[in-house]
Amino acid sequence: MQIENALFNWLWDYYMFWSILVSVLTFTWLYHHSFWYTSKEGEEFENPDMIEVGVFPKHNDDMKLEVAWTVAPFLLIVWLTYVSWAPLNSVWAAVDDVDAHGFECEDGFSSNNQMDSIGMITSECYHVVEITGKQWVWQFDCLELSTDLCDTSSTTIEVYGTIPVLHLKEGETYLAILTSEDVTHAPWFLELGMKEDVLYGVDTSLWLPIPEGTSDHVILCAEYCGDAHSVMAAVLDVHP
Amino acid sequence: MNARMSRSLIVLALLSVAMIITPAAVSYPTGVSGIKDSGCNCHGAVASSEVAASISGLPDQYNYSEEYEIVISFSGGPADAANSNQGGFNLWVSDGALAPTDATVQSYGENEASHTEAGNDQTSWTMTWTAPASDKNVEFILHVNSVNGNADGNNGGSSGDLWNRLSAKVSPPILVLEQADPFVVLSTLIIVSTVLLIITLAYVFYRTNPDNFTWDYFAPWIADWLTSTDHKKIGTLYFVAGLFFLGVGGIMAMMIRIQLAVPGNDFLTQDQYNQFFTLHGTTMIFLAAMPLINGFANWMVPLQIGAPDLALPRINAMSFWLQPVAALLIFTGVFSGSGADTGWTGYAPYVVSDTAHLGTTMWVAGQILLVASSTLTGINFLTTIAVMRAPGMGWLQMPLFTWSILIANLMLFLSIPAFGVGLIQVYLDRVIGTAFYDVSAGGDPLLWSHLFWYFGHPEVYVVIVPAFGVISEVIATSARRSIFGYRSMVYAMAGIGIVSFIVYGHHMFTSGMSPTLRFVTMLTTMLVAVPTGIKIFNWLKTMHGGSLVYRTHTLWTLGFLVTFTIGGISGMFFPSIAMDLHLHESYFVVAHFHYVLVGGTVFGFYAAIYYWFPKMTGRMMDERLGVIHFLTGFISYNALFWPMHRLGVWGMARRHHTYFVTTEEAMGALPIEAAGWNMFISVSAFLFFFSNFFLVANMIKTVIRGEKAPADPWGGWSFEWMTASPPPTPSFDPHNLPILRDANEHIANEPGSLGRLFNRLMVSEDEEVAH
Repeated sequence: MQIENALFNWLWDYYMFWSILVSVLTFTWLYHHSFWYTSKEGEEFENPDMIEVGVFPKHNDDMKLEVAWTVAPFLLIVWLTYVSWAPLNSVWAAVDDVDAHGFECEDGFSSNNQMDSIGMITSECYHVVEITGKQWVWQFDCLELSTDLCDTSSTTIEVYGTIPVLHLKEGETYLAILTSEDVTHAPWFLELGMKEDVLYGVDTSLWLPIPEGTSDHVILCAEYCGDAHSVMAAVLDVHP
Repeated sequence: MNARMSRSLIVLALLSVAMIITPAAVSYPTGVSGIKDSGCNCHGAVASSEVAASISGLPDQYNYSEEYEIVISFSGGPADAANSNQGGFNLWVSDGALAPTDATVQSYGENEASHTEAGNDQTSWTMTWTAPASDKNVEFILHVNSVNGNADGNNGGSSGDLWNRLSAKVSPPILVLEQADPFVVLSTLIIVSTVLLIITLAYVFYRTNPDNFTWDYFAPWIADWLTSTDHKKIGTLYFVAGLFFLGVGGIMAMMIRIQLAVPGNDFLTQDQYNQFFTLHGTTMIFLAAMPLINGFANWMVPLQIGAPDLALPRINAMSFWLQPVAALLIFTGVFSGSGADTGWTGYAPYVVSDTAHLGTTMWVAGQILLVASSTLTGINFLTTIAVMRAPGMGWLQMPLFTWSILIANLMLFLSIPAFGVGLIQVYLDRVIGTAFYDVSAGGDPLLWSHLFWYFGHPEVYVVIVPAFGVISEVIATSARRSIFGYRSMVYAMAGIGIVSFIVYGHHMFTSGMSPTLRFVTMLTTMLVAVPTGIKIFNWLKTMHGGSLVYRTHTLWTLGFLVTFTIGGISGMFFPSIAMDLHLHESYFVVAHFHYVLVGGTVFGFYAAIYYWFPKMTGRMMDERLGVIHFLTGFISYNALFWPMHRLGVWGMARRHHTYFVTTEEAMGALPIEAAGWNMFISVSAFLFFFSNFFLVANMIKTVIRGEKAPADPWGGWSFEWMTASPPPTPSFDPHNLPILRDANEHIANEPGSLGRLFNRLMVSEDEEVAH
């Protein structure tokens, strides 16, 4: 299964690049020293640090090196933080932020989503839907939206039984207002790579920009909620 | 025993009994089990033989998917046609589907049926049961109430009523073995492990002196162990308890992996699975990792700092003995079939909801005791390390393992009160109806998460930092070098300790808490990589120019460096919020924290076992068995946890009792390859589990006939290697404590770069005199 979240994929590749680089450096160093600086049990060896029981040994340090591998990882994580910073505005955009997803769409208007080179989606406006979680079923409400933009139905899948379906349109951006009727839940849109907790007594929200080419997929509950948590599922049906 | 001590013990015993009994006040007549035992809402306290229940229409052997009409009835008791009501029933079936045929019966899902209001005036009811499409041994459990129809209101109209129970079994067309209840399997395995442990201990006692294998010698021997305040004996008790619960947690992990081996498996029900993963997490963190740390800390901290014992030996004994009581409370719910099902994180409001199991109350009570135990332990170690270091040992001359215990206990001391407060609030909510977490009564849905993770994240470091200490000791000794950058190692551990308190929000990126707080904790979480990186690079540099000797503890240390590095790197993916929104609560998280907690903490403690076991027992471990343990364990461990990263990215959610793959016939959450990988993981899990038998065998073999160990078999420098193996009691003569010498004394007395600068600026007294 592919994650249809281009931003996730871009960040993943970027982090993998640095992870592999750091791993290669570390493991090469480990491999080399593990086999190069060895001796056998009982073999004579130098004792450069004057190790002797009951004596705190000579310091084995090098200020320059220690500063170097304090500063180098620090610079790397500053850079990775910077790289991860910009997407924050995409996933945690404030409501009615004109630079992110604009204002709520008026009747007949489309979000006209735009994706930049790293996968961040901005929209001219957004549509509001409501998602309610309760043990152990999802409920979707399209509010005033036309059926072309949002619709609900149900389907029977062999393993999950009869579960609700949320029909959304690709290329549009939705703001899901999340509420719970009992305990904490979290809808996880698997292919969109998005989730947010649904709390009892507090409204939370989740941006759902639907990229073109998103396949129909299962929505799971990601926050443990009791007995039937694992089959608290729904389906996202995406249409052109 | 004086009167004050007797009174204290009685009060403690009463408190323990009260904590066990209180939750039972709301149990059902037939126990605190699930719906199949208690669903009858039985009218009365005990079953009555005056009432006879029956089910007719059931075949001895069913045909696949065939529908059977069954009739439930009862006779006897106060039921009479003249009464306003005559009776009711509850029928539970393990497989197939129950369906009502008229308005007198209603079903609750496929597995349960009961009478309706309209069916309350009858003594028999009819319904259909559709047999399963596969071979199952089907069990029916029927509860019936025979009622007298009074409506006095005081007892819900049930005074004078009687009830009884009936169970029946139907066989499949092809006879299959009866599937054991997983709780029975777990209980059996725990009991078998306990018996094996007792036999092993008895055998060890026998081998220590075969001529004195009598009760007269055994009684004082065991009494000494049960009442000892010697840090070494308490350390051994912690160690044995920790290893035992590591096994118990492992057994639960194996049952979880059987369940997840294939998609849609029904080895465990949802209900059982939820209890198993809750107890697996709780057991591994609180009953395995923490006692193992305390075991080594008890043994080694006084020895390393040259102290005769811990500062507060009786407090130390009390800290330990709170743990078995806590463990009993935590597991009590499981043995009644209604154990805690909240996850080790026990998120509110679920933890205080009616849907959480009754055993959750006992689980909370047990954890409150563990908080008390950890707090007392913290006081003890902080006091000991602060005031009982041997002459000559300054703060920056302590062995790094002792430093790690100091920092871990400081972290624990500052974080665990929040957890304790949260647990007490949950306990009060569940038992006396307060509303700290009852959102409908004004409780806060996020308060618990804040309190828990304020504790929970430092707690993760509390269990990994001591492993850092072990690795620092082992790698330096094995390479026959002084640890590279001793001071930066101390500062890095302290840095990790400080930063750990300001990162916890990364567990709540998707929780809906304040975006500002989420953003701040994203930055601080990234920062953890800096001190961790310093430690890894310092360990690697320690080997530079050294003479590494390959022993089993060296192998586990090198293995630790690989797995902990991988675990650390995968941890960097979470503070990148746009990725965390997908990875949170997925198997990527499961892979990450197992790489850190098993590849880090457990591998660290395997190294510690091989490193310090000769000191503890006076016997050298078998290196050949040790290498086999490392090779089988390291390979199977990576095969077990590495593929979980991919499963998480695919969308496999943690805490789901099963998963479904997409096939041509049906849509599932995961690609079809996930099924194969899960089977591979389960097989690897069993190999990893069984690889640890080499360690157990090695320890037993070593204690019985291991080669005698010298005082300093590996060439270490710290005080524990100065004492005999095993060390005497008291570990050091209080009137003749060792004095630490310092190979750097000539360096320590010379001014540093700042001092040299000041020296140049200052006019010396000699020159002043000359002028």
